[in-house]
Amino acid sequence: MYPILFLSFSGLITLFLGFFQEGKWVKPATILFLAIASISAFIDWNKPGAYFFNMLQVNNFNLLLSLVILITAILIVAISDNFKEIEYAHSAEYYAIMQFSLVGAIMMTNFQSLIMLFLGVEILSVSMYVLTGTDKRNLRGNEAAIKYFLLGAFATGILLFGIAMIYGGVGAFEIDAISGTLASNQAQSLFLYIGLVMLLIGLLFKLAAAPFHFWTPDVYEGAPTIFTLFMATIVKTAVVFALYRILHQSFQNMHLSWSYILAGCIALSLIIGNLSAVKQISFKRMLAFSSISHAGFLLLGLLHVSKTADKSLLFYSVSYLLASTSAFGVLLALKNERTENGRSNENISVFKGLATRSPFLSAVLIISMLSLAGIPLTGGFWSKFYVLTDAANDQFFYLIVLALLLTAVGVYYYFKPIITVFEKSDIQEAITINPIFKIIFVLTTLGTLVLGLFPDLLYGMI
Amino acid sequence: MDILGLLKNMTITHWSFYIVSMLTLFGALGTIMSKNPIHSVIYLILTFFSLSAHYIMLNAQFLAAVNIIVYAGAIMVLFLFVVMFLNLREENEELPKNSILIAASIVGGIIGITLIAAIRQTQIEKVNPYSFNTKTGLVETLGSLLFNKYLLPFELVSVLFLIAMAGAVMLGKREKGERHF
Repeated sequence: MYPILFLSFSGLITLFLGFFQEGKWVKPATILFLAIASISAFIDWNKPGAYFFNMLQVNNFNLLLSLVILITAILIVAISDNFKEIEYAHSAEYYAIMQFSLVGAIMMTNFQSLIMLFLGVEILSVSMYVLTGTDKRNLRGNEAAIKYFLLGAFATGILLFGIAMIYGGVGAFEIDAISGTLASNQAQSLFLYIGLVMLLIGLLFKLAAAPFHFWTPDVYEGAPTIFTLFMATIVKTAVVFALYRILHQSFQNMHLSWSYILAGCIALSLIIGNLSAVKQISFKRMLAFSSISHAGFLLLGLLHVSKTADKSLLFYSVSYLLASTSAFGVLLALKNERTENGRSNENISVFKGLATRSPFLSAVLIISMLSLAGIPLTGGFWSKFYVLTDAANDQFFYLIVLALLLTAVGVYYYFKPIITVFEKSDIQEAITINPIFKIIFVLTTLGTLVLGLFPDLLYGMI
Repeated sequence: MDILGLLKNMTITHWSFYIVSMLTLFGALGTIMSKNPIHSVIYLILTFFSLSAHYIMLNAQFLAAVNIIVYAGAIMVLFLFVVMFLNLREENEELPKNSILIAASIVGGIIGITLIAAIRQTQIEKVNPYSFNTKTGLVETLGSLLFNKYLLPFELVSVLFLIAMAGAVMLGKREKGERHF
């Protein structure tokens, strides 16, 4: 609750900070604001309840989600490096819009009324449309922004239509009211089913799960890397927990209906994501397809209404956030490598010879790739383990088999950058890394390893 | 079924409802079926006006006025402006591929059938005109709802608008060294 209020105001302040001393205070101020917002989340710690006539629900788990989102945002802001990769950067506006978008993300994880969910989705998406198109001179960025905007607006429309249908079936927006209506053994209105399907379509689009994934590769590739990272981590986490609240806390009695829809989406996401990633040359495009397959894994954790689903999903999100931050961060650290046309080189070949040029960066990259692939001793292994254990059930046994088979495919394409790191390259000069980057990389890599060695530190805590 | 008997028993409310509904459907069909985009926009304005008439019949005068001001006024003018600015002509129109047409009609048909089934299955409670709160839908009721129960979403919408505004200005701003139009 309090982070939402605080970030709404601090975003405004950030907009105006851009006027002073050429905006050099904007980045430290943003980090400070995000830190204060994270601390303000603790005001509600151990005081579960609802705010503003049942609009927002607060409990310790929701607060933990807000904290994860805010801390990831701090990491991303720290490695943003004043957006040097963007021509004509307007840092103050970017940082302000990032803070506003976090308002949407936190609303999506804490909502109690579907109105708040819709507003949260909309705030987060509109900021993402803007941030995707920030590199105005980049044609690919423009294409990505317009594509994302048109498709996203359509998905939002479907989501809103679904919410209206659910209101028609229940007569209330609160998710408690929905589960109450479903629990009473009366015949359910068909509008509830139609509404749920439309709501799912809207949210699965934002999650980039197949068959609603067509925007993902282009948008991930076209957007500036720092905002791609933002999309891959914060948007995904927020949407997954919005889905969790809808499916597990309000529609749990309709499990039989929605689990088949989810199963279909999971199978498609895993197949399309993993198989398309194999032949990609661009690193960002490869990570985009890998994010589709990770969306499939996250949905796998939602497939069964179990008591451990929230824990597994949070574990998965955290380890995915850490690994993605390292992977995209390494690409950001190498942004001075240019291709012939003057743009940053974002192909996998940019890592050629990295092992001799900067052993530190190559270690970070290798560990993040191993974690994304799900190799033991990294967080990625345990996250896949927990999610698959939750999903293990007679009914959807084939999905587990499919997931395991496609993880093996995943190992192939995640190892491509690792092999490239050890190839010989003509350029021998060492790479200088910004000390802030170093700190962030150490944090994320250590986090990945600690989660891999002692998973109970996080899993047992929740 | 005695249609003539039904017609005789229809009150003025029924008559106006059916006439306005026919207008709405006519406008909506015209929007999607006319080939000239400007005609489409004008049909859409007709649809919005007849929807506003529906709102008035439901005793929601404020919504009716807002619907006309915002949609028929502001947004439609924007549409017309864009259509004229882009100078869309009929000649460069291409019919979509057959496969897309077939897929679209299957999907649309399925959604239509599901919605009709849902409406047929639902029993709508009848409103008792004597105990009905006549203030429903007036500005006063709407305002007290917005500033009591829905205060938080109402205020947070401003964040959404601020993002849209800041983003539009930022993306549309001419940078140093870019050419003039």
